[in-house]
Amino acid sequence: MSGLLVGAILRSPHPHARIRSIDISAAEQLPGVHAVVHAGNVEQRPFGYNHDNLPLKGDKVRFIGDELAAVAAIDEETARQALELIRVDYELLPAVFDPFEALDESSPPIHDELPDLEGNVAMRWDFDHGDVAAAEAEAAVIVEGTYSSPQAAPAAIETHVVIAAFDPDGHLTVWSPVHMVFMYRKELADCLGLDWQQITIIQPPVGGSFGGKIDIDPHDFITVMLARKARRPVRLVLSREDEFIGTRTRQPIHFKLRTGADAEGKLLFRDAEIVSDNGAYNGWGSHAMLVAMNTITSMYRVPASRVRCAVTYTNKNYGGSVRGFGNPQATFAVEQQMEELADALGMDPMDVRLRNANQPADVTPQGMEITSCGLTECLQIVREQSGWDERRGKLRERHRGLGAAAYIHVGGGARIYGSDGCGAMVKVDDSGQITLISGSSELGQGSETALAMIVAEEMHVPLEAVHVINSNTDVKPWDVGVHASRTTFVAGNAARMAAADARDQLLETAAELLEAPVDRLRIVDGTVGVVDDPERRMDYARLVRRRLLREQGSVVMATAFYDPPTEMQKEYRGNISAAYGFGAHVAEVEVDPDTGMVRLLNLWTAHDVGRAINPMLCEGQIEGGAAMGIGLALSEELVIFDGRIAAPNLHDYGLPTALDVPRIVVNLVETIDPRGPFGAKGIGEGGIIPPAAAIANAIADATGIRPREYPMRPWKVKGWIDTQERSIVVRNDA
Amino acid sequence: MPELYVPAQLEDALGFMGEHAGLALPVAGGTDVLIDLRIGRATPKWLVDLSPLEALAGLAFDGETLRIGALTRIRTIELDAEVARRAPAVVEAARVLGSVQIRTMATVGGNICHATPSAEMPPALLVHDAVATVAGPDGERSLSLSELFSGPGKTTLENSELLTAVTLRAPKERSGSCYLRQTVRWSMDLAGVGVAAAVETDGAVVTGARVALCAVAPVPLLVAEAADAVVGTELTTETAVEAAARAAAACSPITDARGTAEYRRQVVAVLVARALRIAWLRATGEWPAGVPAPINGVLSGEGA
Repeated sequence: MSGLLVGAILRSPHPHARIRSIDISAAEQLPGVHAVVHAGNVEQRPFGYNHDNLPLKGDKVRFIGDELAAVAAIDEETARQALELIRVDYELLPAVFDPFEALDESSPPIHDELPDLEGNVAMRWDFDHGDVAAAEAEAAVIVEGTYSSPQAAPAAIETHVVIAAFDPDGHLTVWSPVHMVFMYRKELADCLGLDWQQITIIQPPVGGSFGGKIDIDPHDFITVMLARKARRPVRLVLSREDEFIGTRTRQPIHFKLRTGADAEGKLLFRDAEIVSDNGAYNGWGSHAMLVAMNTITSMYRVPASRVRCAVTYTNKNYGGSVRGFGNPQATFAVEQQMEELADALGMDPMDVRLRNANQPADVTPQGMEITSCGLTECLQIVREQSGWDERRGKLRERHRGLGAAAYIHVGGGARIYGSDGCGAMVKVDDSGQITLISGSSELGQGSETALAMIVAEEMHVPLEAVHVINSNTDVKPWDVGVHASRTTFVAGNAARMAAADARDQLLETAAELLEAPVDRLRIVDGTVGVVDDPERRMDYARLVRRRLLREQGSVVMATAFYDPPTEMQKEYRGNISAAYGFGAHVAEVEVDPDTGMVRLLNLWTAHDVGRAINPMLCEGQIEGGAAMGIGLALSEELVIFDGRIAAPNLHDYGLPTALDVPRIVVNLVETIDPRGPFGAKGIGEGGIIPPAAAIANAIADATGIRPREYPMRPWKVKGWIDTQERSIVVRNDA
Repeated sequence: MPELYVPAQLEDALGFMGEHAGLALPVAGGTDVLIDLRIGRATPKWLVDLSPLEALAGLAFDGETLRIGALTRIRTIELDAEVARRAPAVVEAARVLGSVQIRTMATVGGNICHATPSAEMPPALLVHDAVATVAGPDGERSLSLSELFSGPGKTTLENSELLTAVTLRAPKERSGSCYLRQTVRWSMDLAGVGVAAAVETDGAVVTGARVALCAVAPVPLLVAEAADAVVGTELTTETAVEAAARAAAACSPITDARGTAEYRRQVVAVLVARALRIAWLRATGEWPAGVPAPINGVLSGEGA
């Protein structure tokens, strides 16, 4: 790209400080520098959930990594030198790192500009269903405990890269890996005062996201600011350090959970107090609590539940929407208590799970309407394959143990916006080529393949006949974006509808040309023929040409928009998704009790995928998700000392290696969902949800101790063994 | 970025480093140096490329001693049957260092001279009485390997000196050694604690022993008082535990992202006892030949 400049960002070295002044004059004068931006010389408006964030901070910085200023220069070296020439005068402020301290009214205010905050609580999420007090009085067994998780990162191999370029007419094109492109375009326009009709977003192939590239980040706005000021295209590439420090993380969540059951193991209530350590600003991460709440109220049949959740501001990097979105954290609490409860009752945890398993046609306390549900079958499969009945509780002398966990997760979209829809267009051109133009994006998850297969199936053509275009907002129809395991379900239904329409247009032409009613036509491999008359047939290419190349001809083109039959939740009630995914894992570990080192030996998984449109892609999603879940369980953590990420590199972060991931047994359970395209449900996130809980339960089985947080790094396990950390049974009348 | 100087022979490298004292950084496999350059931990004006000095690479056995050239790749050591026979701890340290890709580039001299407190090779070499050969403007000198380290990232080498080889003493008839470590992950990780032990026996009791540690002190530590605890005894659980306790008392670990000081001290005690035990089993022929020790001495790690 001609004239492309390099962008670079100056980030705060302090966790909490007032900015007294910022001096960019020396940086501006450095030869090779084309633009220097800071809050004092750009137009910007607040963005984020509480409108609590600005791309470039003017009054305060609130975490180490907060964006202060940026430069565009001819090369990286010049940009780096320019950043060093920017002088910032800070007044250091007391910082809040502990979310429990942040609950306190007297903690130093992080967002003093926002009115009506109590302490540093950004938002509260409270939910009540049924009579918890009555259920508690009735319960034969009650267990309670705390369960915590750390700050973790999506850690995609490709870091964020953005290019922004204005053409001479003022039209802006942004090349970005973001996967909620239409919201991104609107937010760019709203924040920067641009005309959003004059913005095109192009999404090149993405080197992994895992949720890290859903949201708009300050660096996106900043790249556009630089291009605008420099009047040259600007490319901004985040280094690995900046990726860890300055892009969105999985927020730590602290659960205090109580679960009660009757003497037969039937669940009676759950009572959760949740504190989310969401960091300096309210990104999407604040809404991970919605998913955590779903799991507390709706994983298994729970007659009564109470959830009290506080999302806190702290002077740390802030939460985004990483794969699983609050669910691995909540499942770590809920599924440990299922086994703690069963052990207290002297029952098998699998029996307790099966007794309480969600079933088809259930409506959960939050109004989630379950259509298909293979939870029972999933539990039975992993129970059988792992030798659970013969081996659980019997391996402790060899320091081995088995543990299980299941999950519920949205699998048919997630209505968090006015529409949860996706548009699709299918055209068949005069060569017979079929093109699907989908609103959804490809991030490496394989949705292009799944969508093409759906179109091919609907149109009775080979897969290779279908091309997919999905990368340019000028071309593609609207879509919320890729999140919540929704693409195969929502974009798949839209693609299927458009494909059916295009096929019907071809059949209509065929009926005319072959002089036969549509109900006597059959399509085989893209050729329409008349039943019982093999001579009368015509392929798609010829049909299109005959339809097109005549007076008053027309093209074969169909559009569709699929919005799932769901509702926005009110007071946390309502059917947020058109289908729900389920699954179960059993982990087997070996623990070295003297060092606390844990080796995962086996992981058996079973997932209700509705229908496996492409079994290999489903397995890939499950294995990849499980590998990430194993990382969460045993090794991944951004260790933070006084607000500073101690080692922002891939080595110390602790991504699992091939030797940390055992052979993962994958079972695909097909329940053929009534609303999914050919019965399919979402599977993008399921794999990551159970491993931490299953591994914690396996460690408990191997050692008798009860893990309280992940990652279960060796010194933590050793600490629990040394202090004899046990399950807390507050009542046992069984 | 620094400029590259490519010497034709050792003397050129030594001369250049003397002339540019403090500004020239030797680079062998580059697996540490490239990271240091990227994160700004090293800011030399010159890099001295040692790769043409082929004479410094390779293993030499003279029936007595084993000489390991400083430019010998870690992967070469890992795969060498003679090293495995004479010094199993050295192979066990080599096989857990980094990844195959890293080991294929990294050299033993680089692993020593970078002086990372958690470096794997030094403790394994120390328990085999490694002697360092250092070349300088006035010729060669030899010193005990433990004398080479002076602090994290620091050695006693002069600006114009290069490590050229480490030499291990000949193994005694009935002897064995072992290297174990604690990590968060099971591969591609740095040691939270690394422990090497070597034992010699006359068939009845321990006649000589060495215990060395890494990652739990500013430098790799040879802990004589730990080894002394087992000399003259049959290596029993009791004597191994006593040795381990002494090693734990002798180290000075820190708390960082890879573990707490208290935990590391506990693990030293565990791994020293295990490493001594495995070294003893090797010395007495009870450990199957050619079978490496599990990474931390115990977990089988085999799935169904």
